[in-house]
Amino acid sequence: MQTPAIPDSEQQRLSALRDTGLLDTVPETRFDRLTNLAQLSLGTEIVLISLVDSDRQWFKSKQGLDACETARDVSFCGHTILGEGIFEVPNALLDNRFADNPLVLGGPNIRFYAGVPLVSDGEKIGTLCFIDSKPRTFTDTERQIATEFGKSIEQEIQDRLQDHAHQQLAAREQMYRSVLEGTKIGTWQWNVQTGETVLNERWADIMGYTLAELEPISVDTWLNLLHPDDVAESDAQLEDHLNGKNSFFDIKCRMKHKDGHYVWVHDRGKVVTYTDDGKPHMMYGTHADITQQKLGQIALQQSRDQLYKLTQELPGVVYQYQSWPDGRNAFPYASSAIKDIYGVTPEEVLTDASNAFAKIYQDDLTALVDSIQHSIDTLSVWELEYRVVDDNGLPKWLSGSATPERMPDGSTLWHGYIQDITQTKEHYLKLEQLNHQLNIAQQSLDLASEQAQIGYWQASLKHGTLWWSPMIYQIFGLNEQDFSPSVSLFKSAVHPDDVVKVEQSEDQARITGIHNVIHRIIRPSGEVRWVHELGQLVSEDKNPDLIMIGSVQDITDAMKLQKIKDDFISTVSHELRTPLTSISGALNLLQSGKIVSLPEKAQKLMDIASSNCLQLSRLINDLLDIEKLAAGKMLFEMKPLVMPPLLLRALNDHQPYAAQHNITLALLHSPQINDATIYVDEHRLLQILTNFLSNAVKFSPQNGKVTLSALVIDDHIEIAVQDQGSGIPDDFKDKIFEKFSQADASSSKAKGGTGLGLALCKELIGAMNGSIGYQSEPGSGARFYVRLPIMK
Amino acid sequence: MPLQKILHVEDDESIRVIVEMALVDIAGFTLTSCDSGSEAINTLEHFTPDLILLDAMMPGMDGLQTLNAIQKLPQCQGIPVVFMTARIQQQEKQEYLTAGAIAVIEKPFDPMSLGDELETLFQDHVSATR
Repeated sequence: MQTPAIPDSEQQRLSALRDTGLLDTVPETRFDRLTNLAQLSLGTEIVLISLVDSDRQWFKSKQGLDACETARDVSFCGHTILGEGIFEVPNALLDNRFADNPLVLGGPNIRFYAGVPLVSDGEKIGTLCFIDSKPRTFTDTERQIATEFGKSIEQEIQDRLQDHAHQQLAAREQMYRSVLEGTKIGTWQWNVQTGETVLNERWADIMGYTLAELEPISVDTWLNLLHPDDVAESDAQLEDHLNGKNSFFDIKCRMKHKDGHYVWVHDRGKVVTYTDDGKPHMMYGTHADITQQKLGQIALQQSRDQLYKLTQELPGVVYQYQSWPDGRNAFPYASSAIKDIYGVTPEEVLTDASNAFAKIYQDDLTALVDSIQHSIDTLSVWELEYRVVDDNGLPKWLSGSATPERMPDGSTLWHGYIQDITQTKEHYLKLEQLNHQLNIAQQSLDLASEQAQIGYWQASLKHGTLWWSPMIYQIFGLNEQDFSPSVSLFKSAVHPDDVVKVEQSEDQARITGIHNVIHRIIRPSGEVRWVHELGQLVSEDKNPDLIMIGSVQDITDAMKLQKIKDDFISTVSHELRTPLTSISGALNLLQSGKIVSLPEKAQKLMDIASSNCLQLSRLINDLLDIEKLAAGKMLFEMKPLVMPPLLLRALNDHQPYAAQHNITLALLHSPQINDATIYVDEHRLLQILTNFLSNAVKFSPQNGKVTLSALVIDDHIEIAVQDQGSGIPDDFKDKIFEKFSQADASSSKAKGGTGLGLALCKELIGAMNGSIGYQSEPGSGARFYVRLPIMK
Repeated sequence: MPLQKILHVEDDESIRVIVEMALVDIAGFTLTSCDSGSEAINTLEHFTPDLILLDAMMPGMDGLQTLNAIQKLPQCQGIPVVFMTARIQQQEKQEYLTAGAIAVIEKPFDPMSLGDELETLFQDHVSATR
C-alpha cells in the first residue's frame, strides 16, 4: 500500500483548511443537498466531501457512509490533493497503491474511486469523492459533472465563509450598538466625498436637540455648533487623519448646547472605506459628552494651581515625608520652599531624604530621629524645634509639625509643614534678655522707691481700676494682704482738713493732666503723715484707657525740717527787725528835725547811720524774698498791665535819690508800648525796676544820666535801664546774677549794695515767665533789661 | 470822723517810745500805750480808742490772742485793729487779716509817715463800714 505523500505547501494548505471553519462542524443542508444530487446524478454508492486534515480525513458531508473520518495514511483523498484534476481509480484491487488498503480489503470495500480536489484560498483542502464497491470508470461527461459539483461545493464553501463573516459583523454591530446605547454615546457617519452626514438621536440629545430639530443635517451641523476657538484644532485633526498622519480623528472640543452654554464633547472617528481611486469615502465616529469629566478636570487643575500657589506663598515648606521599616525615607511631595529650609530641591529628596538629613545640626540629630521614631510608634503628631546648618555653615532654627498615617506597605507617611523660626527664636532670646534687664530695673526701682519712701500707682480713669506698689501700703500704714487698692480706701486716709485741697488737685488734673498736691494722711494707728502726690495722665492719643500714673512720697521728715527752717527764718527776721525798727524809727525822728534840732556834724552822722540802717533792712528783706522764692512760697498776683504808669512811678520814686547824687533820670518809650499789655505782678516788677534804677544811680558818675526805656521787640516788651558808669568788668560778667556777688568786695561798702539784688531780680522775672540780661562795654556804662511776653 | 484816740500794744519799750513820738509829737493823736495783751484788755475797760495798733509777737498773750479777747469785749465792737509785725511772711499776714485785723504794717516802719498811714486806714475803714 502506498501512503499518500505530504504536499510541499502543507502548512499553507492546513492554514487554508482551518480558515474555512468547516472542520468538526455539524452537517449542513447546503452541502448535503449537493452531495445527494451528485450521488443521484452519477449513481455511485458513496459521495463524500472529505477535508484532508494533518493526520485524518474528515467528512463534512457524506452520502452512503456512516463513518465521520478515516486516517489520512489509508485515504485515497490524500492522493487526490497531490495532483491536478480528477484522480480516478477504476479497480483498487488491481492497483498496487491500494490493493492491500484496509478500506479496500474491508468495509466499505472500495473498488472504484474518483476524487475532485476542492480548492480554497489557492490550496487543495480536500475532495469531493465518489466511491463504489464495484469497479467502474467515469465517462467524460461524468467527469465533467463531477468537476462541476466540485466547483459548486467550492462556491458553497466561499459563500458559507461570507455568510459567517456577515453574521459575525452583524453580531459585532449589535454589540457595538448595545455598547453605544449603554454608554449613551452619539454616533455619526460622514461621506467625505458628498458631505452627506448621518447623526443618531443621542448625538442630537447631547446638544440639547432632537434629530428633527437639527434637520437638514449636513457637515455644517457640526461646524455651526463647534466653539469658534476649537475650529482650527478640529480642522488640523481632520487633516492629519485624512492624510494618514493619525490613525484616528480625535478631538476634545466645546460645542454649543441648545440652551446657549457650551458642552465638552469627545469626538473620535475613522475613515472606514475608500473610493476605488483611493480617496477617503465613509467616515464613522462617536460623539461623547465629557462635560462633567472636563469640568471635574478643570476644577481639579484649578485646585491644584491654587494649592501650588498657596504652597509657594507660604514661608515654610509643605511636605509629605515617608519612612519605610527597612530604613528608607523620602519626601514624596515637597513645595519648592524646601530649598530655603533644607537647601535641597524637591526632586533631590523625592525618593531619598538623606540629602536633607545631611543638613541637620549635629547636636539636634538624635532628638530628631527619636521624635520621628516616637511618631511612628504611637502615630502621634510629630512636632519639633531643631536646627539645620545652611550653606554658609550658619545654624538655622526650624519648627516642624506633621500628622502621620500608616500605609498598606507598613511605611509611615506624614503630612506636614516646616518653617524657619530663626528670627522668632532670636527675638525670643532678645526678649528674654530684655526681660532680665527689666527685672533688674524693676529691682533697682523698688530699692530706690524704698530708700526714697516713694510708692507708685497706676489708675485707669476709664475703668476705675487702681494698682499700688508695696511702698504705698507701707506709707499708708496698711497691710498689703488685708487691703486691695481703691479710691475710697485712699480717700478715707486723707486728713479731713486736706480733703478739699486734694479734690482741687484732682479737678485740676482732669484739665491739665497733672496732679500735684502735698497733704496729710492719717494712718490706721492715728499717726499723721505728710505725703507729696504727683500724678500724670499718660498722653491721650496713646491712652484709650485714660491711664494715670503717679507717685506718693512720704515727706513727713522733710516737712518737719521745712517747719523748723520756716520757724527759724520767721524768728530771725522778727528778732532782727524789732531792734531795727527801733533804730530806724529813732534815726528818722531825729533826722526829721521835728523832735529836736541837731548841729551840722551830728546831722551828718545821723545820715550815715540812717543810710546803713536802710541797707540792713533791705538785706533782710532780700534774704527773706530769696528764701520764699526758693521754697516756692512767694505768691504772685499776676494781672494784665500796661507799662507807662508803672514806668512813671518807678522814675518818680527814684527822683529824690537821683537828685541826691546829682543824676538826671530820663524816660524813653516807643508809642507801641501804649498798646502792649503784659501779664505780671506789678509790685514784683516794680521791685525789679527799683533794683535796676538804684544800681544805675549808684554806679553813675556825678552829673550823669540814667535812662529808663521800654521797647517792643517782636512779641516781647523790653524794659531797660542804661547808666553812664564804668561798665561791668569782664571777670565779673559770669557771676553777675549770682547771690552775694559784687564787682569787687569794696563796692558793697562804697556803694551800699547787698549783693542779692540782681540774683533776686533773676528769680522774680523767671517766676513771671520773663528773662533778664545786660549789655556792657567797660568804660561806657551798662544796660540792664528784662523781657516779658506781650499778651495776645 | 477824724482819727483821734489810739491804743498801742507793744512789749518792746524802744518801739513804744518811737511810736509815741511818731503818733503824738509828729501826728498829734491821743495815745495810750500798753506793754502786754492783758494790760490792753484792762485798759480797754475804761478807755475806748478809735483804733488799736497791736504788735503780733508778744510774750504771754500774743497779738492774735489779744485780738480774740478784744473782739469779745462789748465796748470794743467795731473798733478797727491794725497789726504791726516783723513777721512779713505772706501766710502770717493772711492769718491776721482773717482773724479780723484791717491791715498789717511791717516793721521796720517809717515813723514820719506812720500817723498818715493809720489815718488813711482808719478813714478807709470808716467809709467801708458806714
